[in-house]
Amino acid sequence: MDGVMDGIISGLQVAFSLQGILFVLIGVFIGTFIGMLPGLGPISAIAIMIPITYGMDPALALVLMAGVYYGAVFGGSTSSILLNAPGISGTVATSFDGYPMAQQGKAGKALAIAAISSFAGGTISVVLLMVFAPVLSSVAISFGPPAYFALMLLGLTAIASLSEGSTLKALISAVIGFMVVTIGIDPQTGTARFTFGSANLLDGIDFLVIALGLFALAEVGFLIMNRKEKIMKNAKEIGSLKLTKQDAREMSGPIGRHSILGFIIGILPGAGATIASFISYITEKRISKKPEEFGKGSVKGLSAPEVSNNAATSGAFVPLLSLGIPGSGTTAVMLGALLVLGIQPGPLLMTDHPEVFWGVIVSMYIGNIFLLILNLPLIPYIARVLTIPRPMLISMVIMFSVIGVYSISFNTFDLYLLLAFGVIGFLMRMFAFPAPPFILAFILGGMMEQSFRQSMTISNGSFMIFFENKIALALIMLSLLSFAYPIYQNYRKKRSSANTEG
Amino acid sequence: MRKFLTLSLFVMMALFMAACGNDESSGGDSSSDGDASGEWEPGQSIEIVAPAGAGGGWDTTARMAAQVFQEEGIISEDIGVVNKPGGGGAVGWAYIANQEGSNHNLFVSSSPILLVPLSGNSEYGHEDFTPIANVIADYGAFAVSKDAPWESLNELFEDMKEDPSSITVVGTSSPGSMDHIQFVRFAKAAGIDITKIKYVSAPDADGITQLLNGSADVFSTGVGEVIEQARAGNIRVLAVTSEERLDGEVLSTFPTAKEQGIDEVFINWRGFFGPPGMDQAAVDYYEAKFKELSDSEAFAEVRANYGWDEMYMGSEEYKQFLDDEKENLKSLLEELNLLGK
Amino acid sequence: MLRSVNQKISIILLLVAVFYLIFSYQLPSYPYIPVDADFIPKVLGWLLVILAIALFFAKDQDSEEQKAKRRIPKKDALVILGVFGMVFIYILLLEIIGFVMMTALFIYFSSWFLGYTKHVTNVIVSILFPVILYGIFNYLLQINLPSGILPL
Repeated sequence: MDGVMDGIISGLQVAFSLQGILFVLIGVFIGTFIGMLPGLGPISAIAIMIPITYGMDPALALVLMAGVYYGAVFGGSTSSILLNAPGISGTVATSFDGYPMAQQGKAGKALAIAAISSFAGGTISVVLLMVFAPVLSSVAISFGPPAYFALMLLGLTAIASLSEGSTLKALISAVIGFMVVTIGIDPQTGTARFTFGSANLLDGIDFLVIALGLFALAEVGFLIMNRKEKIMKNAKEIGSLKLTKQDAREMSGPIGRHSILGFIIGILPGAGATIASFISYITEKRISKKPEEFGKGSVKGLSAPEVSNNAATSGAFVPLLSLGIPGSGTTAVMLGALLVLGIQPGPLLMTDHPEVFWGVIVSMYIGNIFLLILNLPLIPYIARVLTIPRPMLISMVIMFSVIGVYSISFNTFDLYLLLAFGVIGFLMRMFAFPAPPFILAFILGGMMEQSFRQSMTISNGSFMIFFENKIALALIMLSLLSFAYPIYQNYRKKRSSANTEG
Repeated sequence: MRKFLTLSLFVMMALFMAACGNDESSGGDSSSDGDASGEWEPGQSIEIVAPAGAGGGWDTTARMAAQVFQEEGIISEDIGVVNKPGGGGAVGWAYIANQEGSNHNLFVSSSPILLVPLSGNSEYGHEDFTPIANVIADYGAFAVSKDAPWESLNELFEDMKEDPSSITVVGTSSPGSMDHIQFVRFAKAAGIDITKIKYVSAPDADGITQLLNGSADVFSTGVGEVIEQARAGNIRVLAVTSEERLDGEVLSTFPTAKEQGIDEVFINWRGFFGPPGMDQAAVDYYEAKFKELSDSEAFAEVRANYGWDEMYMGSEEYKQFLDDEKENLKSLLEELNLLGK
Repeated sequence: MLRSVNQKISIILLLVAVFYLIFSYQLPSYPYIPVDADFIPKVLGWLLVILAIALFFAKDQDSEEQKAKRRIPKKDALVILGVFGMVFIYILLLEIIGFVMMTALFIYFSSWFLGYTKHVTNVIVSILFPVILYGIFNYLLQINLPSGILPL
């Protein structure tokens, strides 16, 4: 316990030294900035910072990294909200309600909700991390392939609830999204599937290509039609951060729920912020009394995924710090960064170097606070992006998407794919096929297939493996329930409406 | 927005100068070449391609090599690292193959350049390029959970011979690629029917998770992935794939397969290549420069940080090594029926 | 002959499913695992066939709002096509001409095309935007965007 207190104190000492504060500030600033650049998220931001921290005092470097990390996560939401162009996968769900809200002229408010939700999610989950990290390491490894399969199944049952009108169309969207993710080399067999002999397709299609195509480019089509409309009356109003008491009340629910839910999902290696944000969004919509508001600028719908993806990012530190297992792409890069600083994360980190462990946690906490302090005053300026005249804004959204894809793949092939998905997304919107089920199936489907087949290989082809594993069994039951409930609800609704009509 | 861009740019510049004052000085004149180490000298900036995304092994190697080349003044021309991810390397190789005859394009590669073409997923293999030098090596390891009944590789292999369906091997990559092949190679040397091995591929960090929670029995991976878990006593490393025991406090406690009577070695080498038809003079130049890099103290420090081993091979030796290795791998894949058409 | 939009879409989806299934059935088999690479694709392919048939017979549930979305004035359709065509040209030439030139040209012309007439501002923005981005990516972040014909 001495180590713990010493660690926290030394962490605080570093973070509150003049240098510490300076570095956190710089980190948050750079992180936000990089996060706002197309295609660059926390992974690239940290990777870029690694050579810079080379040779720095590890404690200071960690503080800097934490600032960059949180900054980049927040920066990613801005493009989601303002341009419907999610720069990273964790902020796709943010755009569902953030973008409509911004389009209603409340961009500043949307950004403020995102920032506060991020802060709350980050803060609560860091506290959870501090209190429970030592005991949570066993949770992190409790999920075997059958349990992952069941978790993905649970996520997919939510497709029906993501649809606006026709459930049938939502299912079709989902099946096609699932089909798209089967493209590429199959990890279990090494078989190249649906690549048509092209090396460009061997690794499958990148998530960002789909997200930017279906959301940002498809939206461009509709923006063009409305290009002469002047929605954005004046800059002051757009940038206004004013939150009503009602908004605050609406945010409190999601903050409480999803900082815990996101944290738990984040702990599971391989699940991560994207899946957490989607599951939170869906859950929030499910339990909401006014689900029809979702997708049209709902405060809860914006808050839930933002709380969740930040909580999940803290959760991902549990396996990293307690076991040395990087559960996500971001923590994998973080592991690299720690290695360069001469810190070897592993099961013994907490006993060997408690000061590092607590230093990381304290710096995350500080990074989080500074992010809020720094960003709230900037929001009015960031929101002004929307006052750019429509024709130019449209050109820039297109460039944002193109550069976003190019800066991760460096391949024009992926740009043609982006364009193709833009056209597909536009047509889908035109004919009322919802895009969220497509993207959800794309995210969950790949993992679901792999964990299903891993399980079957392990069990030598017996389905019993899914019922012998307690977690898997519980999750499968839950999926059945969540699948059956809306049908029952629908049935009741129909009956009651039939009654009133007839 | 523009205001914000320029403002941020300004802050970043300031930080760059503060954090690493010497970082910005790479531009400017390049005429300070002291020693003439060959007849050919690069006349423009050099591009090193990492046929993978940022942050992976190839990318790190390329960036670290470029950094040491410049900081130590081994090469004074600018060196840029370009990422060409896709197809497990195939996209990058296709890109390099188009630079035929260029003396200013290099790329980094390792075993996949042998394995990916063998499985039929790349038109180009190592024989299409110009091997320049190998610089580093790391090794594979086979680990089991601390509660597993096997104390040595032989005990594991005995049980696998009796009932192969009861033992699951997990690795990070798909069948026919490194983690799978390294295990198959040792299993074959021990006389196991390699078509019966039950192999599961778990991308990212899932492999170690599956070993720790008992979903899988054996983890076939790089030695760097198991050190910390072994030190904590969560897992037991049955064997490493190197010729001799490795150096290091924990590393030296891992037995080699060889000392357990299984005469097989697997090296995950990593080195640099040029495009097809690179001039011999340029090859000689780079070969010498990579030798200098490999011998430098700065690069030794990089190796130590990342847990890489030194393994220098010049162009000729490298080519021979790659040819032999490919033959070896080809027969394994043939037996597993994984050879591409 | 087809009465509703849904029926036309359902035919297209059916074609997609058939195309996908043909390739699924041609996937080479890998004998060493119980569930092979073709299993899930086959399930998905048949699922889409069923869903497409269901769509064919489904009643049109689209709201008026949705139907309104479908009515795109011809002029707008042409403009959208034009912009997407410009994106295509951009991609085609990006690695040949280079990032800065292409992006500048694209922003200038696409904005103009969409009705932005303040040419001075347009020129300034379309030059500054790519130049600053290029500088940040290539020099600060060491992420190389194509330089193309400019000697950068």
